[in-house]
Amino acid sequence: MGEVILTMKGIDKSFPGVHALDHVDLEVRRGEVHALMGENGAGKSTLMKVLTGIYTKDSGTITFEGKEVEFHNTREAQDAGIVIVHQELNMLGHLTVAQNIFFGREFKKGLGIDDKKMNEEAAKLFERLNIDIDPTATMSDLTVGKQQMCEIAKAISHEAKVIIFDEPSAALTEAEIEELFKIIRDLRAQNLGIIYISHRMDEIKVITDRVTVMRDGAYVGTLITEECTKNDIINMMVGRVIYEDPKTHSMVPEGAPVVLKVENLNAGKMVQNVSFELHKGEILGFSGLMGAGRTETARAIFGADPKQSGDIYMNGEKVTINTPQDAVNHGIGYLSEDRKRFGIVVQKSVAENTTLATLKEYLSGIFINKRKEEKVAQEFVDSLATKTPGVDQLVVNLSGGNQQKVVIAKWLCRNSDVLIFDEPTRGIDVGAKNEIYKLMNKLAAEGKAIIMISSEMTEILRMSDRIVVMCEGKITGELDIAEATQENIMNLATREIS
Amino acid sequence: MANQNTAVAAKKKSSLDKLGGQKFIVILVIIALFLFFSVMSANFRKYTTIVSILDYSYYIVLMSIGVTFPLITGGVDLSIGTGLICYSLVGGYLISFHNFPVWGGMLVTVLFGVAIGLINGTLVAVMDIPPFLVTLCTCMITRGLGAIIVGGFGITWPTATQPGGWFRNIFKISIDARNKIPIGIIWVLILVAVMSYVLNHTKVGRYTIGIGSNKEAAKLSGVNVKLYHIMAYVISGLFAGLAAIAYSAVFATVQPGTGAGFELEAIGGAIIGGVSASGGAGSVTGSLLGVFVICLLKTGLPFIGLQANWQQIITGLVLIGAVLIDVIKKRREVH
Amino acid sequence: MEALKNNAFVKKIGLNRILLVCVLIVMYVLFALFSPTFLSYSRILSILNYACFLGFLSLGVTFVIATGGIDFSIGPVMFCCALVSGYCLMSYGVPMVPVMLISILVGLCFGIFNGYLVAYWSIPPFIISMASMNISKGLASVFTKTQSVSWPQSTSEQGWYRYLVKVGNIPVGLFIFLGIAIICAIILNKTKIGRYILCLGSNMEAVRLSGVNVKKWQMMAYVICGTLVGIAAIFFVSAYTTVQPGYGDQYNNEAIAGCVMGGTSMAGGLASVSGTVIGVFIIALLQEGILALGMNKNYQLIITGIIVIAAVYFDVLGRRRKN
Repeated sequence: MGEVILTMKGIDKSFPGVHALDHVDLEVRRGEVHALMGENGAGKSTLMKVLTGIYTKDSGTITFEGKEVEFHNTREAQDAGIVIVHQELNMLGHLTVAQNIFFGREFKKGLGIDDKKMNEEAAKLFERLNIDIDPTATMSDLTVGKQQMCEIAKAISHEAKVIIFDEPSAALTEAEIEELFKIIRDLRAQNLGIIYISHRMDEIKVITDRVTVMRDGAYVGTLITEECTKNDIINMMVGRVIYEDPKTHSMVPEGAPVVLKVENLNAGKMVQNVSFELHKGEILGFSGLMGAGRTETARAIFGADPKQSGDIYMNGEKVTINTPQDAVNHGIGYLSEDRKRFGIVVQKSVAENTTLATLKEYLSGIFINKRKEEKVAQEFVDSLATKTPGVDQLVVNLSGGNQQKVVIAKWLCRNSDVLIFDEPTRGIDVGAKNEIYKLMNKLAAEGKAIIMISSEMTEILRMSDRIVVMCEGKITGELDIAEATQENIMNLATREIS
Repeated sequence: MANQNTAVAAKKKSSLDKLGGQKFIVILVIIALFLFFSVMSANFRKYTTIVSILDYSYYIVLMSIGVTFPLITGGVDLSIGTGLICYSLVGGYLISFHNFPVWGGMLVTVLFGVAIGLINGTLVAVMDIPPFLVTLCTCMITRGLGAIIVGGFGITWPTATQPGGWFRNIFKISIDARNKIPIGIIWVLILVAVMSYVLNHTKVGRYTIGIGSNKEAAKLSGVNVKLYHIMAYVISGLFAGLAAIAYSAVFATVQPGTGAGFELEAIGGAIIGGVSASGGAGSVTGSLLGVFVICLLKTGLPFIGLQANWQQIITGLVLIGAVLIDVIKKRREVH
Repeated sequence: MEALKNNAFVKKIGLNRILLVCVLIVMYVLFALFSPTFLSYSRILSILNYACFLGFLSLGVTFVIATGGIDFSIGPVMFCCALVSGYCLMSYGVPMVPVMLISILVGLCFGIFNGYLVAYWSIPPFIISMASMNISKGLASVFTKTQSVSWPQSTSEQGWYRYLVKVGNIPVGLFIFLGIAIICAIILNKTKIGRYILCLGSNMEAVRLSGVNVKKWQMMAYVICGTLVGIAAIFFVSAYTTVQPGYGDQYNNEAIAGCVMGGTSMAGGLASVSGTVIGVFIIALLQEGILALGMNKNYQLIITGIIVIAAVYFDVLGRRRKN
């Protein structure tokens, strides 16, 4: 480790209603890989957005190479030598790989752009990273993993001094992660400062030198990786919050009937021959890497995307599901990973969102019976302990956890037997997470059958009665909770399929 | 690994095929239409008809080249049709009533187009107003403005025999009364080549595609997205101005209140030529070919006994058809 | 301002609408100052005539904009309705009542056509609008052989239809318009159609994933719009009798202007029928006022265009502040 290259001190940032960053500190040295850890919503991404000029800080100082700096946009940060490899891919699908890498700083030749030189330079970059990608390929034709590599190549091409990796491994296979680590070690050897954001404890131990932990938007502490244990880090991340007890064995009673049976479901590349059974009162965890096809499977079952083949049985009877409408009529409810886009209608009230799937039941003649609607919505607000000033409150004004409860109310209102929770706690603050867990356990105990898709290993291990693991569109294994460990799930999730 | 690579390479090739494929199909359609009308009508086969088809196509092609840029950003420019008439009226008015030299009138015409493009671009890129709404309004505004400035009367640019009539020879050289050489096509092809280069090999074009492909990502790459977004509309305005000159050179008089519907022909041409209605993809040469389909229909239909108004209906349907093909193609790609 | 915002009465009516009514009154007073004829009853009647057909167009497009879409073919389609039905009346001797039904039917067909392509084929609404605009113009021209159509005068046998707009000095059209506006308000706010239209305008995917047949309801908005355009055509000819093929574009902007001024958001999901009604009166007043001040139609085009841009910009600003 060399001298300090970057210091962030007392960074504070508020959004309306949220204190996103509360005086956070971070220090990065040359030639170190510095892990930034914390639960979802702890403020890691916000901190990085402040650093790279996407957000302006309310207070605090950023010192880079001994000078105080303030970036107003990513361009300024890039020019100074701070670049970020984003979690969500920022690619321009219509352009080629080389055009993407050099987008915004093309080589000029006369009046035009020197595409030939860009292709050559891109090829050189890939050579340096030891990756095999054709610079002239169209970006949208590459696999997610390759696109990620292009993002990294782009970051490196900036003559960066500090590179931020925001959960780079989420979509990568084991082999690709190995490649990534090799690249990171190379960069460290070249005396760059690297900030590495990840959820995966194992990676942290393998690749990083120091760890800074954040919790609820605040700085908790910095540790030297070699000198601490996984548990030290977990304790710092989780803090005072006590989660629902992890399950040690399945809570599903012997001989519980099969509610949902899926056989040989095929829907594009991401869902190949998926078959599984879901029992009454069961929470079935779906684990796997980002892009393993879990969400696609859920959407295909729900009729949100078309499927090529496969049979779905509800309570033993074969059913046809071509649209979400069919699925809802057969008692399936889907809670999307992206609530704002797919779950709630933010500009409408709690009551209107609650009855969205069941509006027919609230009609008197042709008119909507608002009294009845609001009464039912109020009942759910009470029973789910949703924090809202009233059922006429617009959902946009609620916190993430309470928005999630409104979506749950929508499906409970519909009396759905099968609930598919896709990343149920994404973007929900730590305290509210536990409430959602409790609620899911309660629903399962009441006899609902639940599919839970989650990328958080701790969540999978804590909540599931049984675990299905997917990789590249196929189910690679099924584990009972009693036998499941982080290691054997990861093995299945990254299994190379020949 | 190697397997994947060949798969990627194969896929890439097929998508290239698709792009070229669409142009190839459009060329076939053009040939088919031409043959169809030639067989159906003896008059259509004449050299003079071909010259007049070209005459009628210049201003639409020019509009189409320009509007390709806002379309690729995922927007649209509906103001080019009435705009064209407005710019032409103002230029002609200055020449006829204020003794402007012809080149001065032409310059004003083009600059007026650029100015309206600048306004459109600013409203869209800086003020975030939906493009179709902005340009629908400027479409109406230019229509009103043109009529008010010239006082509501038709304007005649100098005819070929009058002083200053030289500008009509830019597009057509007369050898004698019957034989004319449509040299306008050369200028049009040069402009197509230039703008094709601009779209594919300069920053303006690259960022135009970037904005249409993923505006947020383009912004995160540090590109001044607003500037280049405005630029797309300025290009559209500039070419509407050039189209105004072509229109003035080909037609005897310019009437205020007309021009509505020209934009459909230009935009329709661009979309037939492969510009995606959702942005990101498209080519200038494709737009050129697409416009010829529309021009052939427009000039050909009267030869087979259909009145001119059918052309409006057919153009509308062809536009929807072209977008439908785009939509269906995308749906196929997803599955 | 804050105190005013929290006033119970203001809250109930909505600050936006109160301001709009103020604008309406101030504009009337200003025009009256410059042009004394504005105080005459006949001038008021002619404003109401204008507001009437424009109001139907604006109500129609309110439904479409509520879904987050747009329809700027409504003006030419209205002319197409009036021309096709009028031609049937004058050239084929079809009786008046069926003729009116034909007008509504033509509007309905365009509504179905537009709605089907937007909802089931996901073609961008502005493309459909552009195409429909030209198709309707072409169709009307072909049908009438490019001749204008004059509907019968009040004195003729079939002239009773003109009573739809006014009987003597009583502006009947105004009452019919307000009646239909109330029905539209009820549809939008109290029924399933309205609820789904507003919700899908706000977040289409979320509504679809709630098991709602969004395509059907999205199309329905265009169908309602088309029907209202057909009705608008009847009121247009009742007021002005003569229609010419190839025109009608300007009413697109005026109808959209009335709608967005009234507080309907271009982003979809937020619509106010009462706002649209007030907005329409403002626009109608403005059009008549511009003529009364001695300016011609061209000024109307420019001023309406600027108003639409300004109104939408305020909407954009409001949304930006919220985020």
